[in-house]
Amino acid sequence: MTAATAHGSAGWRTPWTPGTAIVTPSWRACYGRASMDAPDAQLIRTIAAAGRDARLAEAELCRRFAPRIYLYGRRHLRDEERARDLVQAVLLAVLQAARAGRVAEPEHADRFVLGTCRHLASRVRSTAARDVPVDPGLLETVESSAPWTTWNEARADAGALVRCLAALDERSRQVVMLSFQDECPADEIASRLAMTAGHVRVSRHRAVAALRRCLESRAATAPEVAQ
Amino acid sequence: MTACPCPLSWETLVDYWAGDLPPAEADRLDEHLFGCDTCAQVSTRVASVTEALRDLLPPALSRARLNALRATGLRLRENAFSPGERRVVVFGDDTDLLVHRLAGLDLNGADHVSLQVVVESTGERLVVVDAVPFEREEGAVLIACQRHFASLPADTRFELAIHPLGSQGAPARAVYTILHQYPPAKVGGPPP
Repeated sequence: MTAATAHGSAGWRTPWTPGTAIVTPSWRACYGRASMDAPDAQLIRTIAAAGRDARLAEAELCRRFAPRIYLYGRRHLRDEERARDLVQAVLLAVLQAARAGRVAEPEHADRFVLGTCRHLASRVRSTAARDVPVDPGLLETVESSAPWTTWNEARADAGALVRCLAALDERSRQVVMLSFQDECPADEIASRLAMTAGHVRVSRHRAVAALRRCLESRAATAPEVAQ
Repeated sequence: MTACPCPLSWETLVDYWAGDLPPAEADRLDEHLFGCDTCAQVSTRVASVTEALRDLLPPALSRARLNALRATGLRLRENAFSPGERRVVVFGDDTDLLVHRLAGLDLNGADHVSLQVVVESTGERLVVVDAVPFEREEGAVLIACQRHFASLPADTRFELAIHPLGSQGAPARAVYTILHQYPPAKVGGPPP
């Protein structure tokens, strides 16, 4: 991911070697600014080497991948709690594999993590995938990467969303509600609203963009609400 | 962060979050999003809207849907209102979902019921729905009020229009005014 794909596995600009302090003082907060500029492959190798920087490399790997796994979970499991369970299950599996040197192609860590997501998503759907005894230190590292705190900040305020929905024209409002509340595919919406599927898609992406703009505009102008 | 050489379009990402892409294309997007910061950020922006829409309950729910929500462990509190009534309701800490039972309606000959929610003090229309679920035998429409609506104005007027079967005659109308109060959260208490 980040450094590995952005700069290429051989050409990244700020090489990081184990033992060099490139860690911010707040690395324990984990889900914050990047604490290392090492490519994913190097983090995997550092974890496998089990040296003194292994824990930092584990935390950094969690920080990088937790948001992607969470989004994957939201998209495929359609459930907040299960998405959280998936993050934990996948990160634990990836770190255990990295410690055991079982990540066959460290240069493609993102593919390894995605493959683990796909494998574990079906288990998370039906069972408590995290009910497996694990090293408490590993669990602490994984839990400190919680991406849902940032997600909840980014997620639209429901009251503002209601007002932004009211500002849409009736047809656009019907299209987004049928799409995201009734889970209707575009062709079904098209037949219900006497539109073409292509028109439904255009209407839908424009409506989502309009809602995003409306929400951003409201967030920028809203006074602080006393809690 | 380096720019993506082949960024995913907003349109594609909306279809992706709507679950409206062929499985093979959705798989391809998953792979791209796992390896690309730029597109993952755009995807997060799309998802912040689409998933908030999914989390939003419709303004009116059927009794069956409410019972299903109750069965999930949600703490519901139901308040009954008569047509023309104007009353304060408090969204207490012990409640997850406030249900306004807009009662006193003759729904025996109803074809459909439309709902409009208006801010009493400003006239702003918050919700307009052509056909909401209604309980014919109970003579009521059940409004779901979620805690995160606290950011909406507190004074809301619920206007129902009951359209008779066969489009015979003008719709019967009923208005209820509900003044919401949200007690301040307790410091150090459990999260809402």
